[in-house]
Parts: sequence; C-alpha cells; structure tokens
Amino acid sequence: MNKIKKFFLPKPIVLGNGKVVQPAMSPMVYVIPILLVLFFYSTSLTGFEIGTLINRGSKFFDILVRMFPPNFGYFGKVWTPMVVTLVMSVVGTLAGAAFSIPAAYLSSENMVKSPAVKLIVRSIMSVLRTIPLLVLVILFLNMFGAGAFTGMVSLGVFTFTIMTKMFYELIDTSDMGPFEAIESSGASRVKSFWAGIMPQLWGQYISILLYNFEMNIRNAAILGYVGAGGIGILLNDRLGWRAYPEVAMILLVLLVSVYMIENLSRYIRKRLL
Amino acid sequence: MIKFEGVVKTYPNGVQALKGVDLSIEQGEFVCIIGLSGAGKSTLLRSINQMHQITGGKLIVDDVDVSTLKGKDLRRFRRNIGMVFQSFNLVKRTTVIKNVLAARVADMPLWKSLLGLYTKQDKIIALEALDQVGILEKAYSRADQLSGGQQQRVALARTVAQQPKIILADEPVASLDPVTSQQVMSDFVKINKALNITVIANMHHVDIALKYASRIIGVKEGKIIYDGPSLKVTNDILKEIYGRELSDDDLMGA
Amino acid sequence: MSTKITVMEQLKNEPKNWGIKSILILGLIFIGYLGVTYINYNGFTEFGLTVMWNISKSIISPNTALLFGEGKNGVLYLITETAAIAFLGTIIGTIVSIPIAFMSSRNIVPGWMANIGVAFITVVRTFPAVVYGLMFIRVTGPGAFTGVLTLAVASIGMISKLFIEVIEDLDPGIIEALDATGCNGIQKVQYGIVPQLMGNFASTAIYRFEINVKYATILGMVGAGGIGAPLIFAITAYRWADTGALLIGLIIFVLIVEYGSAKIRKKLATGE
Repeated sequence: MNKIKKFFLPKPIVLGNGKVVQPAMSPMVYVIPILLVLFFYSTSLTGFEIGTLINRGSKFFDILVRMFPPNFGYFGKVWTPMVVTLVMSVVGTLAGAAFSIPAAYLSSENMVKSPAVKLIVRSIMSVLRTIPLLVLVILFLNMFGAGAFTGMVSLGVFTFTIMTKMFYELIDTSDMGPFEAIESSGASRVKSFWAGIMPQLWGQYISILLYNFEMNIRNAAILGYVGAGGIGILLNDRLGWRAYPEVAMILLVLLVSVYMIENLSRYIRKRLL
Repeated sequence: MIKFEGVVKTYPNGVQALKGVDLSIEQGEFVCIIGLSGAGKSTLLRSINQMHQITGGKLIVDDVDVSTLKGKDLRRFRRNIGMVFQSFNLVKRTTVIKNVLAARVADMPLWKSLLGLYTKQDKIIALEALDQVGILEKAYSRADQLSGGQQQRVALARTVAQQPKIILADEPVASLDPVTSQQVMSDFVKINKALNITVIANMHHVDIALKYASRIIGVKEGKIIYDGPSLKVTNDILKEIYGRELSDDDLMGA
Repeated sequence: MSTKITVMEQLKNEPKNWGIKSILILGLIFIGYLGVTYINYNGFTEFGLTVMWNISKSIISPNTALLFGEGKNGVLYLITETAAIAFLGTIIGTIVSIPIAFMSSRNIVPGWMANIGVAFITVVRTFPAVVYGLMFIRVTGPGAFTGVLTLAVASIGMISKLFIEVIEDLDPGIIEALDATGCNGIQKVQYGIVPQLMGNFASTAIYRFEINVKYATILGMVGAGGIGAPLIFAITAYRWADTGALLIGLIIFVLIVEYGSAKIRKKLATGE
C-alpha cells in the first residue's frame, strides 16, 4: 500500500535551505480513474458507439442541409404560436414568482421561528421540485385539457418550486439588521420582512425571475409536444412530416425571440445590480 | 417610567446575564450604561423592549408588566420604544426616506405596507425626523452613499419617526470616529431635551458616556454596582466597574 | 447648506418615478390583455383532481415489485440508465466545450474569431434540448444513445458560455510571475492556467450534470431512453402503483444528485 502511495505522490521538492517539502497528493489521482470507470460503464449501458455516430452522423447534417433555404413564407403560421409560447411563459413565470415569495419566507432559516413549519414547508418544496415538468404537464392536461392554459399553469408551478429554493437561499444570507430594527419598532415579522429584507433583495429577485423566464421559454417549446400549447405543437408536427424548410423557419423565429429576450434581460439585470 | 424589580435573565445555555437587577428610570432621563463587554449591558437594554425575554423578576414600563406581553400586545407596546444599533441596521440599497418610513409600517394596515402606500402625514413625520437630526437634504439619497455618522443619524431619525417615549441605543457610536461620535451624541441630547424622550444608551467609551449622560449605571457581572449622576463618578468607581485601571480602549479620546 | 431646505419643500421634491411606474402598470395591463387574448381557459375537469390524488397516493403505495425489481424494467436499472445518459452527455459536452471555449475567449484568440465562436454558441444554446432530441432520433433511432447525443449537444451551449467567462477572468499576473521564474510553456499551462481553471470547470460540469439529470427524464418523451418514458406511460395509462414506484425512484435520485452537487461545488468554491 505504501509503495502505491509513494508512486502516486508527487516528487518531494527540496528547498534552497535544504528542507524537503512533500506536495499534497492531487485529487486527480482518484478522480480520473473513477471518471474513466464510470465512462466505460455508461457507454456499455447506453449502447454508445462511436462507429454508429461516424456512420450515421452525416444524417444529422443531412437534416441541417435540407433546412436550407428556410421557408420564409411560413412565417405567417409561426407568428401566432410563438406569441402564445411567449405569453404563457411570461404569465406562468410571473405567477410562479409571486407565489414563491411567501413560500420562501416560510422555508427560510431566519424568518420563521418554528422549526416544524420550516421543516414541513422545505420538505414539501424539495419533493415538488424533483417532479419533472412533463409529469406536471400531464397532470394539468387532465385538469384543464389541451391548450396554452395547461402550459401556463405547468410553467407557473414549475417556476414556483425552483424560485422558492433560489429565493430562500437569498433570504438566508440577507442582512438581518434592518429586520431586527423594524421588528423592535413593534411591526409584525411579515411587515418587518417586507420593509427590512425585501428592499435588499428586489434586484436579485428580479434577476432570478428573468433567469427562470429565459429557461421557461425553452421549456415552453417542450410543452407543445404533449399538447400544452405554443410553438412546440407546430415544431413536432413539421418534424414529423419532414418539412425541414418549415422547421428551419420555426427554429429561426425561436432563435430571434430567445436572442432578443436574453439581451433584454441582460440589460435589465445590468441596470439592477 | 421604567421599573426593574429583581430582574433575572438566564440564557438557554445556562449563562446568567442579569442576576437580580433593581432599577427605576423616570420619563425624560438620559442614562448611559457602562461596563465591560459581557457584563450584561446589552441584555439589560434589550429586556426593556423584550427583544430578550426576562426569565425572572418584574419589569414594569408605564404601569405595564412587560414580561407578560405577547403577540399583538407586545408589538403595540414596542411602538413606544425606539431602538438604535451599533451597526445602524439600515437597508443600504434603498433611500434614506424609505428607511425612515419603515418606522411607520407598524401602524399601517398590512395591505398598505405591502404596497408601500405611505400617507402624506407619514411622509411629513419622516421628513421632520430627518430635519431634527440635520440631514433633511439627504432624504432621497441612497443610504449607502452616506457617511457612517450620517447613517447613524438616519437610524436615529427612524426611531424618532416612530414617535416613541423611550429610545434604547445599543452602542450607538462604537463604529464611528471620535468627531462623528460627538455629533451623533449631541443629536441624542437634542432629541432627549426637545421631545422629552427617555434615552438609555449602552456605552463602551467611558468619556463619551460621562460627557453626555446625566445619569450613569455601572454594570458588572449581571449586577448594578453604580447608579448615580455622572458628575459623581470617580476614578475609584470606574476601577470597580471595570475591575482594572481604564485603558485607552475604554476612552474615545474626544 | 447655504439656504436651508424646509420639510414641505422637501416633500414636494419627492421623486415620483412616473416613468417607471407607468411602464410597469402598462406592461402588466398589456400582459393581461395578451393572456386573455391568446390563452383560452377551457374549463376545469374534476377528473384532474382524481389524477392528482392518485399520483399523491401512489407514492405511499407503490408497486414494490417494480420499485425493487431487477432486470431492465426495474426502477434501479432505469435510474442507472438515466444517470448514465446524463453522465455521458455531460462528459462529452464538457470535452467538446473546452476547445470551443478557448477558441471563443478574447484573451486567447483575436476578437473577430471570438465573435464567431460566441455567435455559434448562442445559436447552439437557443434551441431546447427536445429539438436536438427530435433531430437525433432520426440519426440513431430511439434509445439511450440518442439521449446521450442530445444532452451532449444541449450542454455545449451553457458549458462553453460559462467556460469562456472563467477563461476571460484568468489572472495574467500569475503567468507573468511564472515567466519571470523561467518556466517553459507546458509548465506555464500546468502551474499557471490549469489550477485557475480546474475548480471552476469541474463546478460547471457538475452543475450541468444536475440539469442533465432533470432533462434526461424529459427526453424519455421523445424516446431517448431513461426513466422518463416508462413514467409517462404509467401516468397516461393510469397505472398508479407503477407511477408511484417510478416517482419514488426519481425523487430520491434527484434529491441525492442535488445534495451531492451542492456539496461538491461548495467544496470546490471554498477549497475544502
């Protein structure tokens, strides 16, 4: 064992004054073998084969090539579903973000005195957070039927679970001084939170809201696939018909929309922080 | 009037911070509490508005037994007591006026405070408080653009806007330089005189305490060992309170 | 301070922020209008509540044969497969991202080249994973392999974007200092660049792994392997006991990944 250790340890360094320093063993010594083992195990499990990729990889580019030139005339049909996608993302994100404030308050370390309340709310929230978006969509499809309303509710609940966690972590690390001062003036804890903690966090709150919004636009494209409204329905339909120039037009509209939204949100974030 | 009768405070970890304190303070007094850190100054101060709950004895403020107060009654009671902190406890990212207006939320309906709908009356009260501490012109600046002394004045204005009968100050000048400390302390004196508000301040620096307070309370190991006019505090008394000769650390050098 | 301002004057000076306030209010009205116009409420079906109740109940009474089952239909196998897809997708995505990121960093290559790289990354990043999934399924057919390729490509956008930020933040002082001590090129990379980058790169990759685990469940929908497809089939066929078993497996798995990822990333950030 000692021999093996010696083999892996870096060479001792002799300093000018004759002292010998033994550098620490690099964590790479065990990280790399573990990663290699996992890599080969995963390739066999998933049937990953470089050969197939090389042989058939050109098909991927075939699809790309057949997308050109995009069917610009199709824009008239893409426009409305794209707006629906945007609207359901915006409304869903805003609703989820609004509900995340009270939930984050109840789960935060320093706002709620009762450890039981905190534990219960946190546990429920972390289980909800692990439920995949698609399961939520299927659930709400059963409630509200196919359409953008289902997409909006699903995105809202999904955003709610994610933002609650991101936001209570912010509350946990906020400055409690103003809260203490306002509470000492006779305000309730909720009022003290609102007047003492929230003003510190509005900027970061809007920032995580925008982050979730960007993510939701991408997610919204998924939702259409199972019938929850928006551009996804169209995308799936056109891909199924192998109408690649029209697919290209859809992707182009998506690209431009996401690009504009990302720049807008980057601009807002810069102004805020 | 504030009356301590054999007040005891034992923390959950067993530390006894107050070991039977008897004390009475009249409306409008300016009192400084001095003593070593860990002597129980902060606990004594914070028990008055029940930010620290006492575990024994009786504490009566204006004929109300404070230790029995809970929930709504406790909050209503606290509206009469302002508090100033060593670290100012302002929201630094927001404006001065909003920090001062925060003192008004206790009196507002919840929905109005959630929407930040302060009345004109509230705004006038807040601005007058700022005027009283001499930084009216800074009302719409962000708090973090102000110097330390100005920030502590904003905090003082916040408690004045609360229109309290008592102001508790926990080491109000400990993070300020000597000159600024003097200015902030004169503001305390001004408010004490002009509005007849009782001021009780914890002080680490003995010279500042002696200069501004009319009455000194010396605390050692959870007990009051001196209580009298600041003019009568002698070197021997200080030596007893501190258990040693005063060092430069105990003086601000102002 | 020459002319002292009075309280009433200062009251009038209050910034009203009409601009921002009206933008906010008009914006909300506009969003509300769009919502009403484009999103139709088709009514509420009470059956949905039954489904919700059954899903919640299923977690307490799962199909234990499936939950603890061995073989290719067991939850353990499906979770392992999902983990393998996410892991492989992350590793390949990371390896591909490293050269892309270096070739798009302003402190390594000329500005015009960096611009091309960043534009490419933006395009790759824009498209949702499902789009790649739908395209790859026409290349490699349904199965875990497609899932790996999809996640690998979908990861490139985010990983290279974050890598570029790290590379552009490199402290040139350290390399200069090594220069001064007479290190050669390889030594400079080994002692000057790698230590600065490794922690951040690893942290990014682990974070993306966490995201990929969640995506892997979605990819089941397009037939790209993992636990997603069986879960969706179980719910849509109202097989509640199976749903419960699959959900329990998934919830525990995701919680473990979240916890582990947060722990390791914290360790990387604070250095032990």
